[in-house]
Amino acid sequence: MAPTVATRPATEPQARRRPRRSAQSRRNARTGLLLAAPALLFVVVFALYPLGFGAYISLTNWPLVGAYHFIGFSNYAALIHNSVFVESILFTLKYTAIVTIPIFIVGYGLAVFVRGNRPGSTVFRTLVFLPYIVGLVTESYMAVVELQPTSGSANWLLSKVGLASSSTAWLVHYGLALTAVSILVIWFYAGFAMMMMLAGMQSIPTELYEAAKVDGAGWWTTEWRVTLPQLRRWIALSLIISVVGSLLAFNQFFIMTDGGPGTSTVTVVMSIYDTAFAQMDVGLASAMSVVLVIVVGLVSFLQFRFLREDGV
Amino acid sequence: MTAVRNPAIRRQQAARGAAHQPGEARFWYIVAGVAISLVFVLPLAWEVLRSFQPESAISSAPSAQSFGHLSFENYRALLSGQDDILRNVINSLIVAVFTVILTTLLATLAGYGFALFRFRGSGFAFGMVLLAFMIPFQAVLTPLFMELHSMHLLNSLLGLSLFYTTFNLPVGVFVMRNSFLQVPAELIDAAKVDGASTTKTLVSVLRPLVLPGMATTALFAFLFSWTEFLGALSFLTNDNLFTLPVALSNVETGTYGSVNYGLLLAGAVIAMIPCVAVYVALQRYYVRGLLAGALKG
Repeated sequence: MAPTVATRPATEPQARRRPRRSAQSRRNARTGLLLAAPALLFVVVFALYPLGFGAYISLTNWPLVGAYHFIGFSNYAALIHNSVFVESILFTLKYTAIVTIPIFIVGYGLAVFVRGNRPGSTVFRTLVFLPYIVGLVTESYMAVVELQPTSGSANWLLSKVGLASSSTAWLVHYGLALTAVSILVIWFYAGFAMMMMLAGMQSIPTELYEAAKVDGAGWWTTEWRVTLPQLRRWIALSLIISVVGSLLAFNQFFIMTDGGPGTSTVTVVMSIYDTAFAQMDVGLASAMSVVLVIVVGLVSFLQFRFLREDGV
Repeated sequence: MTAVRNPAIRRQQAARGAAHQPGEARFWYIVAGVAISLVFVLPLAWEVLRSFQPESAISSAPSAQSFGHLSFENYRALLSGQDDILRNVINSLIVAVFTVILTTLLATLAGYGFALFRFRGSGFAFGMVLLAFMIPFQAVLTPLFMELHSMHLLNSLLGLSLFYTTFNLPVGVFVMRNSFLQVPAELIDAAKVDGASTTKTLVSVLRPLVLPGMATTALFAFLFSWTEFLGALSFLTNDNLFTLPVALSNVETGTYGSVNYGLLLAGAVIAMIPCVAVYVALQRYYVRGLLAGALKG
């Protein structure tokens, strides 16, 4: 980031193109760099450096306080035998598999419903999106209150229609807890998926629909042959954002189940959090983080591939 | 129909088709829309209503009579008693204001720099900013904890704001760069001819044009910092510095005594209100940012 290194070669190609402005463009180059520098500094110091630092720590036996030693890849080897971590990976994958498709289907359906400029559609969009705005943390607290046996509204409502007894303890049984969290998350996230699909649908040229109409295509055919193929990259994008979000799940489980019963609903991020801040094994926690970064990076890389395939 | 080749006429016909939608279909559309909206809004509205119930009603089986006595009891207890969260609300506000100002300022400057100035490595630098978008902050929590510790920024609202700013910058810089790219080149040339300095051009010529972008950036930064949980939970250990979402986890587990769900609901509603208010007021700026954030990825 040293300006002397950055600016001198920079001005030369420009100067060749616009010889009269060379002095000014050199000043321009410096101004541009100066303007971008603060933001760049933040990103380097608080995002890129920690990433590298984390990889370094993962090769040590760094305790939260005290001296440390290099131990090579021992932390990574230990990960395989760390049953809580391994189980947290399996659980997080299972959770991701459960919520991803329902979020997409509900989001797609909602987008179909609100996409036309019919009276009321913009108001419906706003209302469906509200849970996403309020945030999962606040809603998890509300869910904790309403999922209590006997006193919670969920059991009260479900027992009226005979779907659950009023004493169902949602958050202390593995299957029930996972169901409750999944339903909450699908409800929370559907609005976001809707917005993505809606943006995609609005970017499809209307001529395509007019042509389909001219060809006498019905609603299903149009949806299947025109909308879905045109939405390919939006669907890929939306799925990837949602998968990455699920792989990084923490708040809803920390608040609603605290990983329980036992450690059956511990997610990967919870496992990292616990290793670093409760067990104070920073080296091991960093190794877990590196694994997480690689997995999330791979998913994001897939996103790029999808986009490039489509961008041709 | 098949004979019509002119797209303008076709579009007219399509429009007429929509206008001829029978009143009955419109009615059922509204009915279905209201039903769907209720699924998403009613639970939130229900919690607002419940938060006005006395704690005794919230922790016993719900019944119609229990809605007879609505009061501010929970809110009064929450904002004055043992579980006083007023301090935490103020902490959240301080962090949010810091984050919003810093993010908007830095993103605007960087967006200006990246859009309207060419400098060596600008592509690389922009790529670095976007790279931060790919880094999940959940995965750098541990090293960041140690870094903030050595910078004496742990247990500090300023430290938390710097962290929030960093992870809001990628979207912000992207939105602001696009805003500046949309400014007509003639306008910038005219300012240059008039001899306006870089700062003057930004403040008096460009500011009104990029204000919507700044609103988008600020709105995202606010919602992020107001609702963020994991970072605040990790980087703050002093109860007095807790932001609202973290303080509520103390209320949930009854750290200061018995668990009181009335207080928890009231606290959750307090956390919810600013989000809803800000979103409803600035909605059009929100959608722009959402798409920019998604597309950039």
